Amino acid sequence: MRNQEGPQADEESEAATSIPTSELDDWANFGDDDIMQQQSAIRAEEAVKTLFVGDKEPLSTLAAEYQSGSPILLEKIKVLGEKYAAIRRTRGDGNCFFRSFMFSYLEHILESQDREEVDRVKANVEQCRKTLQSLGYADFTFEDFFALFLEQLDSVLQGNETSISQQDEILLRSRDQSISDYVVMFFRFVTSGEIRKRSEFFEPFITGLTNATVEQFCKSSVEPMGEESDHVHITALSDALGVPIRVVYLDRSSCDSGGVSVNHHDFVPAVGDLPNASGSSETVTPFITLLYRPGHYDILYQK
Amino acid sequence: MIDFARVQKELQECSRDIEASGIRVSPKSDNLGCLIGTIPGPIGTPYEGGTFQIDISLPDGYPFEPPKMQFATKVWHPNISSQSGAICLDILKDQWSPALTLKTALLSVQALLSAPEPDDPQDAVVAQQYLRDYQTFIGTARYWTETFAKASSLGVEEKVQKLAEMGFPEALVRSTLEAVGGDENLALEKLCSG
Repeated sequence: MRNQEGPQADEESEAATSIPTSELDDWANFGDDDIMQQQSAIRAEEAVKTLFVGDKEPLSTLAAEYQSGSPILLEKIKVLGEKYAAIRRTRGDGNCFFRSFMFSYLEHILESQDREEVDRVKANVEQCRKTLQSLGYADFTFEDFFALFLEQLDSVLQGNETSISQQDEILLRSRDQSISDYVVMFFRFVTSGEIRKRSEFFEPFITGLTNATVEQFCKSSVEPMGEESDHVHITALSDALGVPIRVVYLDRSSCDSGGVSVNHHDFVPAVGDLPNASGSSETVTPFITLLYRPGHYDILYQK
Repeated sequence: MIDFARVQKELQECSRDIEASGIRVSPKSDNLGCLIGTIPGPIGTPYEGGTFQIDISLPDGYPFEPPKMQFATKVWHPNISSQSGAICLDILKDQWSPALTLKTALLSVQALLSAPEPDDPQDAVVAQQYLRDYQTFIGTARYWTETFAKASSLGVEEKVQKLAEMGFPEALVRSTLEAVGGDENLALEKLCSG
């Protein structure tokens, strides 16, 4: 084993010699570069498994996943099947909530051609821009991301020069890193701006999650790509853009009464400066429905 | 593909408030992928008075991927390699965000000079010294600042060369100069007596 020159040791020594011994001696060399490289390798591996946004699949594929798993989950998926027909998976890279939201929203606008909704959201986007400016963000850090999102909005409305008419085209764009990541980053800016603007409202939720201050939380858990989202992010994005979001929870919790039910929570945007009126409004039915399994969001389609 | 339009804007914005921040970023050549950053050593630290140069190279994915930064000026600090200048800082790794800029990253590096984190070291030797013998750490860091991060520090290389030409081994000359705080005459005295 020690004799690296020996022909016998070829196989074992290959791994050892691929790293110069001087590097092995110096741990300082295993620095940022190595960590970044490993991260991108993991990302590449994940990319092969799932696209940023997958194809629409019947709900039965979800059940198939748990065939030999928890009976509670299988029972819950059966209940889900009463209301929902299909699922669209997203890549589990920490951006799944934002990517699910992006696809669902653009798909909704493409199908509904709801110009009023687009105008409303555009006005909110302008508000977000002002928020970021007043928080001291330099314009050039966010303007490209804003521009790209507004471009996507225009393209799903028919009658514009750049219009796209096919759902396939949104799918292609959602899978194109140079568009998809920009839109995710746009949402991260919007989310961060909203949280910081209403830091008094969000502070108790954030201190419940971490020891961080609101600003630290935004810097470390909202603005970096790949940081996962939870109810704080969803509330903020829903409020900032004024778009209600339904999240259906699929986990192993069960109720004592014996029957299995699937919980959902509606994030209903705040009006004006009022806090998010989560779940209290029965009149608003969100057109975006996401399926939450601990640590991950996918898109759900109603029957 | 690096977003060069954005890099261009960053450079403009950075030069606009150079007076206030003291932070400078300039391209190494025509290629905007390689830059040099300059930060003043924070006041009230052993780095005060020094000017530190940082090599910056932008990865293809910039601004989605963090800029690669490395001290070109030698510096004695627990989170910076005294050998290679590699920096241990979360925002240059997984905590990077496109919301940050070269300037804000350099400001964070400057803040790191003020607030070392010896429990998450890049240079174990320096970190050990920081934790066990803080006074020596301060002395060494100050000496390195004097020697490598000041305009007059060019003179040090000349001193080294001069003493080495007298026949003393270069490594010994350096360590002796370091021990006496850079004074050429004291160093010569010590070298002769040693």
